[in-house]
Amino acid sequence: MPEISGYAFPNDVHVHWSLMIVMYPYITGFVAGAFIVTALYHLFGKKEFEPVARLALATSFCFMAIATFPLNLHLGHAERAFNVVVTPHFSSAMAGFGLLYSGYFVILLLEVWFVYRREIIETARRSRGVKRAFYAALALGTYDTSPEALEVDHRAVKLLSAFGLPAACMLHGYVGFIFGGIKANPWWSTPLMPVIFLLSAAVSGIALLVLLYQVTAKLGRRPIERETVQAMARWLWFFLILTVTLELLEIVLLAYENSDAWHIISQLLTTRLEFSFISVQMIGGSLVPFILLAIVVTMNAYLHDRVRNTLASVASLLLLVQVFSMRWNVVIGGQLLSKSFRGLRSGYQPSLFGREGVIVAIALFVLPFVLLWVFDRVLPIERAAPPAEPSREPAAEPARRTA
Amino acid sequence: MDETESDARAPAPPPAPEPVGRREFLANALRLGGGVLVFLSGAPALGEDHVAEGYDWTQHRYAYLIDTEKCIGCGSCVRACKAENGVPDGFFRTWVERYVVSPEASHVDSPKGGLDGFPPIQTPFTPTKSFFVPKMCNHCKETPCVQVCPVGASYRTQDGLVLVDAERCIGCGYCVQACPYGSRFLSPTTHTAEKCTWCYHRVTKGLKPACVEVCPTATRQFGDMRREDDPVRLAIAHGRVSVLQPHLLTEPQCFYLGLDKEVR
Amino acid sequence: MESARHVFRVLFLLLVVVVIFSVGRTFLVPKSYGAYGPYRFDNVAEQAAVRPPQHGGSASCGACHAERLKAVTAGAHRKVGCEVCHAPLARHVRDGARSAPMPVDRSFTLCARCHRRIEGRPAAFPQIVLAQHQGGVEGTACIDCHEPHSPKL
Repeated sequence: MPEISGYAFPNDVHVHWSLMIVMYPYITGFVAGAFIVTALYHLFGKKEFEPVARLALATSFCFMAIATFPLNLHLGHAERAFNVVVTPHFSSAMAGFGLLYSGYFVILLLEVWFVYRREIIETARRSRGVKRAFYAALALGTYDTSPEALEVDHRAVKLLSAFGLPAACMLHGYVGFIFGGIKANPWWSTPLMPVIFLLSAAVSGIALLVLLYQVTAKLGRRPIERETVQAMARWLWFFLILTVTLELLEIVLLAYENSDAWHIISQLLTTRLEFSFISVQMIGGSLVPFILLAIVVTMNAYLHDRVRNTLASVASLLLLVQVFSMRWNVVIGGQLLSKSFRGLRSGYQPSLFGREGVIVAIALFVLPFVLLWVFDRVLPIERAAPPAEPSREPAAEPARRTA
Repeated sequence: MDETESDARAPAPPPAPEPVGRREFLANALRLGGGVLVFLSGAPALGEDHVAEGYDWTQHRYAYLIDTEKCIGCGSCVRACKAENGVPDGFFRTWVERYVVSPEASHVDSPKGGLDGFPPIQTPFTPTKSFFVPKMCNHCKETPCVQVCPVGASYRTQDGLVLVDAERCIGCGYCVQACPYGSRFLSPTTHTAEKCTWCYHRVTKGLKPACVEVCPTATRQFGDMRREDDPVRLAIAHGRVSVLQPHLLTEPQCFYLGLDKEVR
Repeated sequence: MESARHVFRVLFLLLVVVVIFSVGRTFLVPKSYGAYGPYRFDNVAEQAAVRPPQHGGSASCGACHAERLKAVTAGAHRKVGCEVCHAPLARHVRDGARSAPMPVDRSFTLCARCHRRIEGRPAAFPQIVLAQHQGGVEGTACIDCHEPHSPKL
């Protein structure tokens, strides 16, 4: 039994939304964040992002493929999950999930298909037997690679990015809405919530790509482009500043307005969430990477590639932790305070084993990377023969694996 | 509270059509989305109004009245609720809170929801007043729990109860988070949302909810707003009643007499 | 147009998926769903019949124990239902016949739930401070001296 300080409503002592509901926005955050990176290239013509555009698309796709897993693991009746699309009750923020999720998934599938269509066809032409049949099926039986057809593909990708970006933003903004729309819970109920979720999604997505890009470049023995790392670091810095500003604003507003819940929320932050909010989310996860990225952004000209890559990698790792702790502090933190506004329950420790346990959560985080590897086998993320570039100084920093 | 007034206004002829307010209209428009989908999918034939033998749900609209000045904190209601509904251990469809208050400080407790009554208590301050407050599902008219249910498993009946369809509930827990009163929980046995039903299996047979049946001091009263001479209706219509957390505009149908500012 | 054939193919595939889903879905919507709103109407009747009522009320006890009920309704405990101190009727009677003995709780705790003086009770309600109570020692059954069905103060 959890310990209660003060008075909590007797039904308010359970953390029904467990580690899996922390994992869900964490994972969809990567979906949205990685898609923003692809869009920066496809839509906004940021050429520096060219080397990560396909990786970002693949990452977004792989995280999307498992995004429903944590939800189904959490549901009391996962076998009824389809009720959400069979009898959606549209006054619920959750009911739109079926539409948003499948809509975005379709966009992502189509975009991957259009981006890879030429290569799919070429592979089909080159292979025999089962492999040929597989790629022929993937190509939907049309082998048109005329310049006009490729131009159609190109425009399709652009159009899909244009729809995909708002769809990705809505998919993740809606996750924030699920929390922001609960007027019963003062720690959740703020219109800032969807925005904070969205911005931190961008942070986590870019941070993950900073790491993935360097790891895959190492593994593929490709040079790490200075401009790409630099550009990602700059955008990461920008989104970090926005996120943390809003995260702090939310709290400062509560305090300044002396909201009816402020006395309990201030207790929550300084006792139950002291470590995960103040130490991890704000200091270790925000202040430190802010400084590291500031060095990368403002002192670009003076930095050795190795230093820049290291700084960006460390900052990215810390930001991955920051975003996780932010999800944790919102989801779990909101359930530690009772709606009586008079009591807090003791901190929540997820079980190690079990359906909603730590091991499953780690597996969930590793799974998209496995999928990414499979994806790369089927549809190579790096183009087959990149034009040979004069090899630049080997960046020696062995970027860490995040999983 | 305009809806409350419309309820209390006049002895409405039984199946009085409710005036459609703007908010209601918007809500209906929102619901229409789902409704159209249902219609397209081969709308079900309108079932009979029969929900139980000899019971027409359009002839009733229930309300609950709690007179906090009468409550002695015996916890009989909590025990009766558990026996009547098989409420799982550690979870509560109803519970009783004790407030011990001085102008400077206050203390609230509810050991086991009041299931075994209340023990004597020592507070670090000298109390100037103290009282018990029974709590339960408020069966709100503008209920946040029904609003957030993604699959239409939570709903409000025409006789004014908020119920959960345990066969359709997916156990997502969103309604539990959305209830400002802490009246819902996920049952550890069925893994679906569970809450007070005002003992629907009793009231449809003309009985009172179990908690009302056993209350020795008539703190808890159950009434029918569609009956002109109903004492609960009269008390709500003419007395000064309040509801919990009125600022959330959930329009609770549990009304309180003698509610203190300390109570949330 | 010729060069966009693959686009039409993929759109057609998408359409097929949507149609299959929409048709499949109609088989999964419960019959009474939406009859009165976005919920399964059949559940209302199910809830009404979810279990037989457990508490019968004092009148139902009076069907067999008329004398006892008369004594209670004449005394200070007239507003206290039989099932408050005993147990729900269903534990004692099934299908109109006695199925098990009614539990009788003679403990001090039972009386103390209502009558021990604690913080919270209305001042006018009869309450006992054990230390000031004649012969009162915790552990002694109150009903050794007091008649529970019609106590005298």
